[in-house]
Amino acid sequence: MTGWFNAHFVSMVDGVAYGLLLFTLAVGLSLVFGMMDVLNLAHGTLYLAGAYAAYALSDGSWLGLVIALAVGLVVGLVGGGLLAAAVAPLQGRGHLDQAALTLGISLIAAEVMVMLFGAEVLPTAPPAALGGSVSLLGHTYPVYRLAFIGIAAVLAALVYLAFERSSVGALVRATVADRDMVRAMGVDTRKVLFGVFGFGAALAAVGGVLGAPIIAPGPGIDERVLVLSLVVVVIGGLGSVRGALLGALLIGQVQTLGVALVPSYAPFLLFGAMLLVLALRPQGLFAPGRA
Amino acid sequence: MTARRTPFLIAAAAAGALALSACGGGTLGGGEEEAGSGGPIKIGLLVPQSGVYKSLGDDMKAGFEVYLEEHDNQLGGVEVEVILADEGETADSGKAAADKLVKQDEVDVVTGVVSSAVMNGVVDLFETSKIPLVGSNASPTTLTDATYIWRTSYVNDQPGEALGAYVAEQVDGSVYFLAADYQAGLDEVTGFKRSFDAAGGETADEVYTPFPGTTNFQPFLSNAKSSGAEALFSFYAGGAAVEFVKQYDQFGLLGEIDHYSAGFLTEGGVLDAQGESALGTFTAMNYNFDLDNELNASFVEAYEAKTGLKPTTYAMASYDAAHVLDLAIEAAGGEDADSESINAAIGEIEEVESPRGTWTWSEIGTPVQTWYLREVQEVDGGLANVVIQELGEL
Repeated sequence: MTGWFNAHFVSMVDGVAYGLLLFTLAVGLSLVFGMMDVLNLAHGTLYLAGAYAAYALSDGSWLGLVIALAVGLVVGLVGGGLLAAAVAPLQGRGHLDQAALTLGISLIAAEVMVMLFGAEVLPTAPPAALGGSVSLLGHTYPVYRLAFIGIAAVLAALVYLAFERSSVGALVRATVADRDMVRAMGVDTRKVLFGVFGFGAALAAVGGVLGAPIIAPGPGIDERVLVLSLVVVVIGGLGSVRGALLGALLIGQVQTLGVALVPSYAPFLLFGAMLLVLALRPQGLFAPGRA
Repeated sequence: MTARRTPFLIAAAAAGALALSACGGGTLGGGEEEAGSGGPIKIGLLVPQSGVYKSLGDDMKAGFEVYLEEHDNQLGGVEVEVILADEGETADSGKAAADKLVKQDEVDVVTGVVSSAVMNGVVDLFETSKIPLVGSNASPTTLTDATYIWRTSYVNDQPGEALGAYVAEQVDGSVYFLAADYQAGLDEVTGFKRSFDAAGGETADEVYTPFPGTTNFQPFLSNAKSSGAEALFSFYAGGAAVEFVKQYDQFGLLGEIDHYSAGFLTEGGVLDAQGESALGTFTAMNYNFDLDNELNASFVEAYEAKTGLKPTTYAMASYDAAHVLDLAIEAAGGEDADSESINAAIGEIEEVESPRGTWTWSEIGTPVQTWYLREVQEVDGGLANVVIQELGEL
C-alpha cells in the first residue's frame, strides 16, 4: 500500500492542481447554464484569451504576472459582458440558437488569436522565482504547480463562501432555483444574470493567466478546455459551486491518477467517467436538490 | 477542422492569385528571352507558409534560396524561376497546392513537402503526371516504390534505427519508451527497436501518449520514473517536444534517467523554448551545424548571413535538394532539360557532396548517409546541439 501510494503520490498531487484549474473554468459555465439557462460555448475562448495574455505579458517577473492578471481580469469581465449582451436577445429561443451564436463567436475569436499569436503552441514560463522544482516527500514536483494549488484553493474557497454563505450568493442561488419568484420580489434578475456571467467569465480568464504554464495557449486549446469544463459540469451537476468543485477535482484525478494507472486507456478515461455518471446518475453526482 | 480550413482556402486562394500574377509576369519575361535561350526552368517550392509547420517551411525556403544565391539563381547553368506554394498543415491544403503547381503553373520539377500526410496524398499526382518531386523533409516508411519521388532527408524510422544499437550497448539496464501516438511516433519506435532488440537491449515498457491531446505528461513521466528504467527513448516534435522536455526536468527525471530521442526533439526553434531543461538530452540526426567540413562551413556562414540563425537539418536537406537539381539539370542537357530527362538524371547521380558529408541514393530514392549522436550543451552562453560521435551509416 505504501509502495502504491509512493508511486502515485505525484499523480494525486498533480490531479489536485488540474482539478482546481478545471474548477476556475467550470464554475462559470455551470452557473451561467444553471442560472440563465444559457449554453455558452465561447467559455473556452476566455481561458485562451487569459493564457495568451499571460504569454504576451509575463516576462518572468512578479510585476509581469500581476499585469497579466489585471489584463486577464479586464478581458474576462468585458468578454463576459459582451457575451451576456449578445445572448440576451435569444432569451427563450432554446439552447440550439445560443450554442450556434456562442460557437460562432468562439470560432471568430479563435481565428483572430491565430492571426495575432500564430498557429503554434506557445509554452509560457511562470515567474522566475517559481520556475524550479522542489522535493515533495522525496518526489520532485514543480514549484509553480504547488503555488497554483495554493492560489486556486483560496480562489475556490472564496467563490464557495461567496455563493453559499453570503447574501449576494443567496440571491444568486434563489435565482437559479426560481427566477420568477425572485423577480416577483422586486429584484432585477437581469442584473444578477449579467453579474454572474461577467464573474464566471473573469474567473475563466484569470484561470487562463494562472494556468498558462500548465496548459499552454495554442490553437484548439479553447475547445479542449471547453470540453473538459462541460464534462465537469455534467459530472458535478448544473448550477452548483460545490458540484463544480467536486466534479473538477474528480476529473483532475481521472486525468492524472487514472492515466498513470491505466496509460493505455488514457484517451477513453475522461469520457468513460462521464458515460458512467450519465448512466448511473444523469442529474450529476453532486447536483443541488431542486425540483 | 472545417473551421480552420476556411482561412486556408482564403490564404491558398490569395497565394494562388499572387503566384499567378508573378507567374504571368515570369512567363512574359521568359518569352522575351526565348529568342536566345530555352527559357527558365520552373521549380515549384511546396512548403508551409502558414500553420504549425510554418517554421520548418521557413527553414526549407531559406536553405533552398541560399543555394540559388550561391549559384547566381542558376541550376545546371540555366536560369530558374521558383514558384512558391503554401503547403498549409493538412493533407488537403498540401494536395491543393501541389495540384496548382503541377496543373496550373506547369512546373518542371517540385521540391519541399514537410508533412508525411501531404506526401502520401501527392504520390499519385507526381507519378501520373511524370514530374519529379525532390522532397526535402517528409519521408514516410510506406513510400518505397515511387519512380518520380526522391527525398534528400531520411526515412522516418531511421533516426531511431541509427540510435537503437548504440543505446542497447551504452545503457546498463532497461529502456522505457514514450512516444506520441501517431504514425511518426510508431515508425520511430519501430526503427529504434529493430536495431535495439538485435543488439540485446532490454525494454522496460512501451507507452504511447494520445496525440495531439496530451499536454500534461506527468502521469506518464511518473510511471517511467518508478519503473526503474535506466534510460528513456522518446518521440515528440514541435509544441509537444517543448512541453515534454520541460516536464522531464520539472518532475525530476533529468539527470536521473538518460533521455534519448530522434533529432527533432531539440532541433531549431524548440530548443530555445525548452531552455536549460534540454541540457544533457541525446538525439540522433543526420546533420548538425557544427560538422567539420569545408562545404558545411561555407553553408553555415551563408545561411547565418541570410537569416541570422544556425541552419537546421530541414534547411540543409532543402539546400541539398537544390544541389541535386543542379546536378540533374546539368546532366539532362541544361536548357534542353525537361521533367522526364531531369528525373532520369536524378537517378544517375552517383554521389552528392553535402554539408552533412557525402551521400548516395538508396534503392528507394532516399540518402544513404552518416548519422550523428548529439547532446544538448551550453555553448557560448546559449544552448546548442553538439555532435559527440558518429552512429554509423544508414
